Amino acid sequence: MNIIKFDKIINMVKILVISERKEKCNYFNTIFNKNSYDLECLSDENLIYDTVSADNPDVIIIDTQISSLKNLNKKIKNLCPNTIIIYLTSSSVIDKELIKYANAFLTEDMSDDFIISTINVNLRMKSSLEMLSNSNKDLADSLYRLNALYTTSSQFSGTLDKAKLIQYMIEGMDKALSFSLTCTLSFCTEEKPVLILNSLYELSDELIEALKLRTILNYNSLFDGKKMPFEVNSDTLKVVKQIKYPASRFTFSLFRFDNMFAPISLGENFFGCVEIFKEAPFSPDDATCFQTIAQQVSLPLKSATLYQEIIEANIKLAKLERLKSEFISIVSHELRTPLTSIKNSLDILMSGRCGEITESADKFLSMAMRNAQRLSGIINDLLDLSKIEAGKMDFNFAPTNINTVIDYVKSALSEVAKSKGLTIITEQEQSLPDISADAQRLEQVLTNLVSNAIKFTPENKTITISSKLINSKNIPINEYFKDNIKLCDGDYILVCVKDEGIGIAEKDLLHAFDKFAQIENSLSRKAGGTGLGLPIAKQLLEAHKGAIWCDSELNKGSEFYFAIPVAKIEQLV
Amino acid sequence: MKKILIVDDEQDIVESLKFVLEAADFTCYCAYNGEDGLRLAKEIIPDLIILDVMMPKINGYKISRLLKYDAKYKNIPILMVTARSQEEDKLIGEETGADEYITKPFELDEVVKKVEQYLK
Repeated sequence: MNIIKFDKIINMVKILVISERKEKCNYFNTIFNKNSYDLECLSDENLIYDTVSADNPDVIIIDTQISSLKNLNKKIKNLCPNTIIIYLTSSSVIDKELIKYANAFLTEDMSDDFIISTINVNLRMKSSLEMLSNSNKDLADSLYRLNALYTTSSQFSGTLDKAKLIQYMIEGMDKALSFSLTCTLSFCTEEKPVLILNSLYELSDELIEALKLRTILNYNSLFDGKKMPFEVNSDTLKVVKQIKYPASRFTFSLFRFDNMFAPISLGENFFGCVEIFKEAPFSPDDATCFQTIAQQVSLPLKSATLYQEIIEANIKLAKLERLKSEFISIVSHELRTPLTSIKNSLDILMSGRCGEITESADKFLSMAMRNAQRLSGIINDLLDLSKIEAGKMDFNFAPTNINTVIDYVKSALSEVAKSKGLTIITEQEQSLPDISADAQRLEQVLTNLVSNAIKFTPENKTITISSKLINSKNIPINEYFKDNIKLCDGDYILVCVKDEGIGIAEKDLLHAFDKFAQIENSLSRKAGGTGLGLPIAKQLLEAHKGAIWCDSELNKGSEFYFAIPVAKIEQLV
Repeated sequence: MKKILIVDDEQDIVESLKFVLEAADFTCYCAYNGEDGLRLAKEIIPDLIILDVMMPKINGYKISRLLKYDAKYKNIPILMVTARSQEEDKLIGEETGADEYITKPFELDEVVKKVEQYLK
């Protein structure tokens, strides 16, 4: 019953009539319904000021005939700037001075209804204005909060440092929600879990202990018996304090403040949790803002975690790469030493310095020697390839004539070819321009191609090495290699090694330059070789900005081509 | 007869080098680790040293440096023999004053030829 009455008083319109005329006061008393209007009539100046400041009436009706009108006008406007001020005037002429203060005017001859409507219209206007001003204030608040959120999210996107991200989250919450205290349990600030306390005022050790236990309890409740990502123990939990005004202190009454709590997590990744305290109650908007910031920080934290994993993986990869290089270098060393002893012993035996060698002994000694040499070749190939792949191969680029290289390789391999009943012929275009190349490496490439041709070609056939100058537009690269070979515009030296050997099946063509490709093929295994010659050739030519490819048909022979640009290497980079 | 000191921890390699060098009329002294090699070098003052790089106790680079920076021994030609063929290793070899750098596996006749060249 009482409550209803109280409500009524609040909803009643408070009207103050200021007049020295008794009949006017009585008149207003009769026209305003006592249930809706709370009317008071005063004339004493001091009493008027006291009432105005204490009650803050909705409407003040001032009789213009009152003696202290001038003083009253100013003072009342100062005391209650938002109150509706209506003047009661007898004349139809309005004093210009009054217009400054007036919301409306009543004349003595106005009907009751007119007077009530004038007052009500003004009341409605006032309430509309108040609503407008309130929504403006709300809007300004939202804008401020939005701005704080925007600043925070741009900070989030600017770093991959997890500790910084947590710090930005706390700062963002401070800006948007102006908290009294936040307790952030962070799993990504340091190696171990850390409790970060951001507080307006200093916290006693007992209070910190209580906050620790509270946070751990909150954290445990998130997992509800399930396995937690981290075990947190209050004895070992490290606390970082950031106090804004250390001169004052928070007491345990802090726990009577309004509070909100949120986990900081994304999917299976859990980064921590945050609780925020504020003396004034949080609004639903505050809650949304709080949740938004806690969620927003999770994504960059996840990115930062992934980024860290990538960096760690890269370090691991680099270490593996180094280990691989070291491994190859050590293995080749360990293989070379015994191989040297074997070769040396064979050398001594075959030279006849230890006594006469029979024909069959010579056959087996030669066999042993051939295989020792082959093993030595494999080790060299392995070392070469690992060097090229690690970018450690040194090249000695100098003006080189390809025909000189061809002549050298032809003369070096002619004997071997002859012993197999094969002939090497050359078709060289004369006066070819020099290319910038490492002649020794080109010899290695060509020796490899010609040795392969010798290996895979049956007796009484011919191997042809040709060279010519050609524009890159006219270089015939078949469809198997076209997509993988990019040549620059300009002149190239094209070298071709053509044989009439066993050829390469179409399906194997593309893999001819893959490492150990040959090992797959039992037929070619008989012919020996490591399967590393062609991949090495490919890498060496790529270092010369050139390319290698082949045309072949099974049982009809192969044509291996390589092209090297005529322009200097530096000009092509 | 010219004296040649062979220092290598691989006994088999020392053996084969000794065999061909003696056949070419050189007197050979052998050491199987760096420490013995250095001591022997100072003791017999050979006309040439064939020196392996990777050895226990004192490695070939160090022996070469110690000898080449000593006026008494600096004129003894040193042939460095190693299984390592990395370019930077070669550079270290040159810095330590070795006269020649031979990579394993080597041809025995090639070594004999090199030795004869230095001792002409």
